[in-house]
Amino acid sequence: MTELTLDVRDISKRFGDGETGVLAVRDVSLAIEPGEIVLIMGPSGSGKTTLLSMMGALLRPTSGSIHLDGMPISMMSEDRLPDIRLRQIGFIFQDFNLLSALTTLENVSVVAELAGVKGRAARGRAQALLSDLGLGERLDFLPEKLSGGEKQRVAIARALVNDPPLILADEPTANLDSKIGHEIMRLLRAVAKQEGRSVVIVSHDERIRDIADRVLWLEDGALRDIVTMATDPVCGMAIERERAVSAARDGETWYFCSRGCRAEYLGGPTAEAVIEGPAGDRQAADRER
Amino acid sequence: MLLARRNLFRDRTRFLLSVLGVAVSVGLILLLAGYRAGVYRQASAYLDNAPGSVVVAEKGIRDFLGTSSVLPAGSLAAIRAAPGVDRVVPVVSQFVIFERHGRKDGFFLIGYDPASGGGPWRLVDGREPRADDELVLDRTTARQHDIAIGDEVTLLDRQATVVGLADDTTFWAGSIAFARITTLESLLRAPGLRSFLLVTPAGGVSPEALRGQLTVPGADVLLKSDVVANDAKLLARVFDAPIGLMVAIAFIVGVLVVGLVIYTATIERRREYGAVKAIGARNRTLYRVVAIQAVIAAIVGAMAGIGLAIAAGAALMSWRPQFLVAIEPPAVAAVLASSLLMALLAALIPARSIARLEPAEVFR
Repeated sequence: MTELTLDVRDISKRFGDGETGVLAVRDVSLAIEPGEIVLIMGPSGSGKTTLLSMMGALLRPTSGSIHLDGMPISMMSEDRLPDIRLRQIGFIFQDFNLLSALTTLENVSVVAELAGVKGRAARGRAQALLSDLGLGERLDFLPEKLSGGEKQRVAIARALVNDPPLILADEPTANLDSKIGHEIMRLLRAVAKQEGRSVVIVSHDERIRDIADRVLWLEDGALRDIVTMATDPVCGMAIERERAVSAARDGETWYFCSRGCRAEYLGGPTAEAVIEGPAGDRQAADRER
Repeated sequence: MLLARRNLFRDRTRFLLSVLGVAVSVGLILLLAGYRAGVYRQASAYLDNAPGSVVVAEKGIRDFLGTSSVLPAGSLAAIRAAPGVDRVVPVVSQFVIFERHGRKDGFFLIGYDPASGGGPWRLVDGREPRADDELVLDRTTARQHDIAIGDEVTLLDRQATVVGLADDTTFWAGSIAFARITTLESLLRAPGLRSFLLVTPAGGVSPEALRGQLTVPGADVLLKSDVVANDAKLLARVFDAPIGLMVAIAFIVGVLVVGLVIYTATIERRREYGAVKAIGARNRTLYRVVAIQAVIAAIVGAMAGIGLAIAAGAALMSWRPQFLVAIEPPAVAAVLASSLLMALLAALIPARSIARLEPAEVFR
């Protein structure tokens, strides 16, 4: 069985007491595996930010538990949480939240230094990451001199510099144009798939469905619907498994945007079985929790 | 720390404002402290430079500057005859108002015997008085009144000729002038008048021992250092409260300027600090960032303030030579320490603001 990166069990969050109290998140359970990208969508005020804050050890749930890499972060003392956030979680914010007085390189290296990496090593690590993200020529630039996409790439480098298993991103494409938004999505997918990190994204941006392995819909603080995303092996289109046609081949299930793509795919050799309609296996598993 | 330095230097105007605030505050504190030290130094200048380590004064008189002393007749002879005494310098002191070109000024007139000592210790022009109508004036006072050697001044009911000019003889209440002891006896119509006897112990006799063994009816025998200290106490009653108040105000202004600048800079970057806190920085790390900013501003401001005080002191002494601004190393050290205190106090409110910052706010 795969070790879960994040294991959220029946968490609720209530703000205030009595009649004026608000239940922002109610009985949410969620399991996220290494390398998985989960997109949480929902209307404004649905509790997405509260849920993200609890998963990021910034808020403590009123009830329920959160385990990160097996550690019960929802039960840890306040004193231990900064270290958890620093080393186990990478944050990407909607407004980038780069430190305006520091250069690109310093914005990343300062986070490594906070984790105890010494100056030169921290700068080396930051420089390597920024170069990988295509910012090698922008190391000495202040944030105000960077474009929105460049700022978000710096934020991604900052989130990765301490090598965390979990990345939490809040509306990472909200302030970016379409092209740059796609670039950031591609980067986040690479972070998850090539480096095996779990990525949780809270967003209103429908385009992010294309890179998500699962899409969760949060409404009134509860998960209403869970959609698992797949890529059509024929046309490359991002599709929801639950609504897609599928086929099993060589012991693996494949999902297609249309019967045409499926037929084209099955035109190849050794088809074992064909299943039509939504699969919903992951949805069932999460609901059982 | 990098973030502290960068945050501070990013907005140069703000940084310069905080440095200027501290510089003015520290400069003013140091200038006032220097002025106070100068006043004390000038006030003890005569006794510091006069011979002897023991002072004989009228009974009940404890200071040199504040009150008139009249020794009983025969005191001089009694002290001269006492064992353990090497040298006795009799002096008469009197505060005198004189007038020149319609402008009145006061000086402390010392009557002395040029043969015994107790006269000007830095005669920079002319000579000591040889006759009863001759006078040595403080050079700065003479310059202010446009008096040169050979000029006559009105001294009480008679004229006296200025025959010499001395330096280091101004003090807070005016200046010191010197005449022969017989001149004062005549002016005050008190033949044989002696105000103080400045006594030097014989070899092997300590001032304390001599004080213990000298007894003169109607007179007190004091250590010169005690008389200087009593003069300082007298000055302290006049100067310390207003100077202390001004120093306190300057200190508070410094704290407020640095505090306001650092607080504004912190509030402006509130979201950034929130992000750093969310990422995993502890409160103490952020306190350090704020405190380092305040300390850098305070130290740079203090250095500038020291320079400012030295320049302002020099300008003041050049403009008004009667003022002595004595900026001493202990005062500089105290000002540096107080600027650090200023920085730490100034960092308190911004630090409190950071402590109350909820890292989860960064997602809102």
